[in-house]
Amino acid sequence: MKEWTLEINGKKQKIFVEKLGGKLWYHLNGETGTFQPESKYGSGQSAKANTDPGVIVAPMPGKIIKINCQKGDVVTSGQSLVTMEAMKMEYALEVDIEGTIQEVLFNEGDQVGLGQKIVVVKGSSDGSEKN
Amino acid sequence: MEVFNKIAIANRGEVAVRIIRACQELGIETVLLHSEVDVNSIAYRMADETVCIGPAVTAESYLNIEANVQGAKSMGADAVHPGFGFLSENADFAKAVEDAGMVFIGPSPESIQLFGDKISAKKLVEKAGGPVIPGYQGEDQSLHRLLKEVEAIGYPCIVKAAAGGGGRGLKVIRKKEEAKEAIASAQREGLSAFGSDQVFLEKYLDQAKHIEMQIFGDAGGTIYCLGERECSIQRRHQKIIEEALSPALDEMLRQEMMDVAKKIATAAKYKGAGTIEFLLQKQEFFFLEMNTRLQVEHPVTEFVCGVDLVKAQILTAQGLSLGWQQEFTFHGHAIECRLYAEDPYQMGLPSTGRLGSCMWPHGPGRRFEVGFAPGDEITSFYDSMIAKVIVWDETRPRAIKKMRETLKQTVVFGVKTNIPFLLKILEHPEFVSGEMTTKFIESHFAKALKAPGVTDDVQKIIEDLYQKTGDSKVTEANTKMKEPNPFESSWERS
Repeated sequence: MKEWTLEINGKKQKIFVEKLGGKLWYHLNGETGTFQPESKYGSGQSAKANTDPGVIVAPMPGKIIKINCQKGDVVTSGQSLVTMEAMKMEYALEVDIEGTIQEVLFNEGDQVGLGQKIVVVKGSSDGSEKN
Repeated sequence: MEVFNKIAIANRGEVAVRIIRACQELGIETVLLHSEVDVNSIAYRMADETVCIGPAVTAESYLNIEANVQGAKSMGADAVHPGFGFLSENADFAKAVEDAGMVFIGPSPESIQLFGDKISAKKLVEKAGGPVIPGYQGEDQSLHRLLKEVEAIGYPCIVKAAAGGGGRGLKVIRKKEEAKEAIASAQREGLSAFGSDQVFLEKYLDQAKHIEMQIFGDAGGTIYCLGERECSIQRRHQKIIEEALSPALDEMLRQEMMDVAKKIATAAKYKGAGTIEFLLQKQEFFFLEMNTRLQVEHPVTEFVCGVDLVKAQILTAQGLSLGWQQEFTFHGHAIECRLYAEDPYQMGLPSTGRLGSCMWPHGPGRRFEVGFAPGDEITSFYDSMIAKVIVWDETRPRAIKKMRETLKQTVVFGVKTNIPFLLKILEHPEFVSGEMTTKFIESHFAKALKAPGVTDDVQKIIEDLYQKTGDSKVTEANTKMKEPNPFESSWERS
């Protein structure tokens, strides 16, 4: 961990920074944050987070305890498609768009890793709008 | 008196560390009963001996009675401390430990059983003159009778599947018209989930505070009451912030509740640490349940009473009387915040990963209970609580201020924590006023916190500085040498 004193708006503040797994973590003014650095001091890998709203990915490693949809189902925005369990708690994974279920890649009871695709939804408005 | 040479710890994380320290101070050796993945933890490195009792999955390790008993026995332990959670309130485990010729550090299996059963616990409390939540749990399950009982209890009222734990099959009846459907629904859920359509009814307290009394029965048969803790700040029945004493109790009410708690413990001939939980609504309190173990939030009581509850548990199990003052004088105010590895900006989504550097800003009246050190992996197999921060000060407002400062100076890298959420709670007027109820989180924090979002400027500064000061490879060792950190205590890296 590195530590510097910065002067922000005329006020001296300590900042702590550490690079972990390609991300920079910092603590400044009572808050901790993390971001993907852009420079060469960053990860070097451009593993961008999944931003496609039609793809439901595991936001954490855990177990799928319930799948509330199947291929061909019409879903609406905000609908819970998958229930995951991690750290003794249940989490509902919701879809952000309207559309049709194109693919369900896991079964109930499966263990999934961070960022793994679980369900793919094809938007009902044509794909061009999504990006 | 029985002398313990070695105690086995059937738990993990920060509580295992807490118990190991108490043993060290008492000159007792320790053996940690751990799962495969928990070799990456402070407790593993601190314990004199360790035994792997199974894989990461709790059912096969921390909840496996046979594995725990055999592990403890094989290492020659004289006693087993169960901590909290896992097998700590399992009467079969307590009995199995005793049958194997060791001492279970806790109450008797009979006490655990008595309080573990909601109905027998309620009966005992009623016998001891304690107030229970008005309700119906009779054999007559006819709709006619149930509707009549709902009327008698009044609204709002809950109907719940008798066989299930937690919130399964629980329905709230707010008015007469809803009763029939709610009962039918609870019966259906009970039948499908637990194979029984038996339900019970209870008055629903929707503006209640969670107040719990710490009691302790020593080996000489003396029952002590160490005052209350307020734990109203809960999310999905999981406590987040606890304090002692409660700002809601005046001297008279406190005395009354302490007397009831003592009577309940006396009626059960209770031995060891126990907590009697109550719901308090409009100066009226009702028995909720009794926990026959050490609580997560025990440090706040230790602060205001000046005792060590874990050592007291061990001494009691060895047959020693404690000789505490019969009536405790409470000093100052203590608050505990539970640090969960979760994303505060995504409704507490668990955050797992390898822990980076941490800073625990020690100071007067600040206590950190930590289970993991930099380099340890926080996995998704267990509860996400990675540490507890406890502060003490002369008054409640000062303790709140101290907690805020302490949390702001606390640094945890590698996994996200709920610190930003805790800070928001600590400055909320309802918390500051002391008027919060168990509905606090759902009424004020139903939505995820808005992420502050670092500005591009700050991001650039951080990146530039990082670039200037050398290679991106920062090892723990050279960080330590270049910039010794006065805040870190030696044990955290041991």
